[in-house]
Amino acid sequence: MTTSPILSPHAARETPVISDAAYLASLKKVTQYYIVTAFLALFIGVLIGPLQALNYGGINVYDMPIIKGLLKSYYQGLSLHGVLNALVFTQFFISGFLLYLPARDLGMRINMKFAWFTYILMTVGLLTAAVPLLMNDATLLYTFYPPMEGSPVFYIGAAVMVGSSLLVVGQVVQMWMRWKRANPGRVTPLVAFMSVATWMMWAVASLGLVIEVVFLLIPWSLGWVAGVDPLISKTLFWWTGHAIVYFWVLPAYIAWYAFLPNHAGGRIVSEPLVRLTFVMFLLNSTPVGLHHQYADPNISATWKTMHMFLTFLIAIPSLLTAFSVAASLEDAARARGGRGLFGWMLKLPWGKPTFSAPVLAMVSFILGGAGGIVNASSTFAPVIHNTAWIPGHFHITVGTATTLTFMGISLWLIPHLTGKRMPSVRLASAAVWTWFIGMMVFALGMHWEGLVGVPRRALISATAQSVYRDMPIQIPQMLTAISGVILLVSAVMYFYVLFRMLLSKRVDDGEVSSPIPYSEVISPAGQNLAGASALVRFTEPLLALWGVALLLVLLMYGPVIARLFANAELVPGWRLY
Amino acid sequence: MNQRLDHHTLEKYENIWFGIATVMALFLFVTVLASFFSGTYPSLTGEGGHHITGVKNGRLNPKNFAATPFATPGLRQNADGTYEAFVVAKAFQFEPAVLKVPVGKPITIHVTSADVLHGYFIEGTNINTTAIPGQVSSFTTTFRRPGTLNVICNEYCGTGHHNMINGVKVEVQEP
Ligand code: HEM
Ligand SMILES: [Cu+2]
Ligand SMILES: [Cu+2]
Repeated sequence: MTTSPILSPHAARETPVISDAAYLASLKKVTQYYIVTAFLALFIGVLIGPLQALNYGGINVYDMPIIKGLLKSYYQGLSLHGVLNALVFTQFFISGFLLYLPARDLGMRINMKFAWFTYILMTVGLLTAAVPLLMNDATLLYTFYPPMEGSPVFYIGAAVMVGSSLLVVGQVVQMWMRWKRANPGRVTPLVAFMSVATWMMWAVASLGLVIEVVFLLIPWSLGWVAGVDPLISKTLFWWTGHAIVYFWVLPAYIAWYAFLPNHAGGRIVSEPLVRLTFVMFLLNSTPVGLHHQYADPNISATWKTMHMFLTFLIAIPSLLTAFSVAASLEDAARARGGRGLFGWMLKLPWGKPTFSAPVLAMVSFILGGAGGIVNASSTFAPVIHNTAWIPGHFHITVGTATTLTFMGISLWLIPHLTGKRMPSVRLASAAVWTWFIGMMVFALGMHWEGLVGVPRRALISATAQSVYRDMPIQIPQMLTAISGVILLVSAVMYFYVLFRMLLSKRVDDGEVSSPIPYSEVISPAGQNLAGASALVRFTEPLLALWGVALLLVLLMYGPVIARLFANAELVPGWRLY
Repeated sequence: MNQRLDHHTLEKYENIWFGIATVMALFLFVTVLASFFSGTYPSLTGEGGHHITGVKNGRLNPKNFAATPFATPGLRQNADGTYEAFVVAKAFQFEPAVLKVPVGKPITIHVTSADVLHGYFIEGTNINTTAIPGQVSSFTTTFRRPGTLNVICNEYCGTGHHNMINGVKVEVQEP
């Protein structure tokens, strides 16, 4: 037994006071608009999911009259599902959440007119892109690989939607720099630090997509140029397309690091370590996109291998997160009297949905990450590339790690923003658990089908040949079909709670009844840079690190893209849907 | 006894864990490299390292198959005895519909597309490449067992995508 004194816990951060009530109300309102728009997109997107799960269960519902009336084809439904869930839900949620958090954490005033303008622009982009999607004029799936051609209205809408997220980046970074000027020598508070790092990463990452859509796809779809080089477009797409998954999970990480310990009754383990993790993501999450192109010709194996190496390196900050958050939870459980090597887990508040959602999301992410290592390994990738394994994989990453965490966040954030109350904790808890269980069953079924050779993005339940009937996939098909039903029930419960909550009357002051759940810290970063540890001083200059991130991307992509441009082969567009 | 975690102990565990994570990442990389060198998968020829009539740097004009061997898809045996196969993917089938190949012989397969992206995935193998219009995917492989394998398009290519399934027939050669 050691005699070292128990260190006094470092009290949780208090939200800096904002005395201007009108400003605070407006800030909360714009955040709420973002969050609600996000969940409306998810609502529509998620309702299509079970139909797809039935397809992978061997049951074709797309010939039923009601569904025929709504969706021209399986592929139109899948395009809506992918775009609404993966692009719209995430972008709107994150834009609201990561605008609100740093503004509150730093106690800064932002220009509300500009904030509203950005929200409106993003929504206009969304609605513009939605029209062709709903008219079956952009059934391109969310990757919209040319030369499959969609209506230019779709590309323009998508560009406006994604482009406007860069305005949020600008606003947050500018707010942070004003704070730095007003507080020389101070350490950026943790939540603001994580938010700014995430936005900076996104600024580097989104460039590929913006270049692709603005300079290649829009001119081509408008008929200004005769053709498009599909490989160049695809390469630019995945420049953004891989990093985008970190843009989806980093806000979840913020909640796991900063808020989950509070929901559990524990403490953040180490602020310097969290900051290191986010810097690693800033530097390392973009120059890896070629790992989506192992199967593509005419990109050198050397570059693919370098991107593979960098991909493996990003496992490190994820593993650090697993360690840190698990330690926070153990801390919480032991404080509540938990014992034993694993027995402490029983002491966690499993029935509390604001706790269970992020924790189960994290468990899901551990499994997703393990599968991701298979995808990233260029020798394994050909076995599972574009098979059902892939949707199996990303439904336990973005579909659960991110989505379930965001659902959990909504359960305290909406009361915080609106002063309304969750109508039923039990129903919310049931929604969280069934989502987790449903997704686990789904992932098992889909990974399994993929290993046998079932392709992704295919109406396999209606294939003319007997190929899939001859494959040994009866059990995974059954699992997938069942998971679709579980997830439908889960979604109905969750959205019932959400909409009931939104439509109810305001009863509390959200600042008091549901404050931002900042956690206590075991090893804080400190207040002043002068006395801070080397790690804190190294991670603080985010702007310089952002420059390094940009340089790294140019180094890892420049030669690849230059060579593709030098050999460009323009081909005409097609519309085969 | 319920002593809570303190900074000092945590820092020690953190460092150990960081070390383990780094070693794991490096180990993964080394194992994949090892599988490159032992040649356990048919890797694509990168950046146009092959010479086919009418194909430059791995690129060709999909409107101009006539000037390339893709005009007559299928297997051919070159003067030096090596085998080459040419496959054209187009909505919604592969040409030839059944590619006949000899068992146990290395074959270089070249795949391209006549319209949009397609996938060229041979069921039960690790042959999986993207057929891109304007580009040729080339790789060398050996089929070790006779039989018929399904070739499945695994890249969305339009309304008939799920029906885009053809075959490879691996045959024992008549002497
Ligand atoms: C009720 C829950 C859900 C179910 C049952 C479900 C089911 C499915 C299935 C079966 C597929 C594969 C379709 C195919 O490859 O043909 C799919 C694709 C997809 N899902 Fe979900 N999903 C659900 C929720 C989500 C959520 C929450 C997200 C993300 C936030 C998401 C994102 C995606 C994406 C990005 C695709 C790929 C679309 C594409 O390949 O173009 N899904 N989903
Ligand atoms: Cu196809
Ligand atoms: Cu296809």
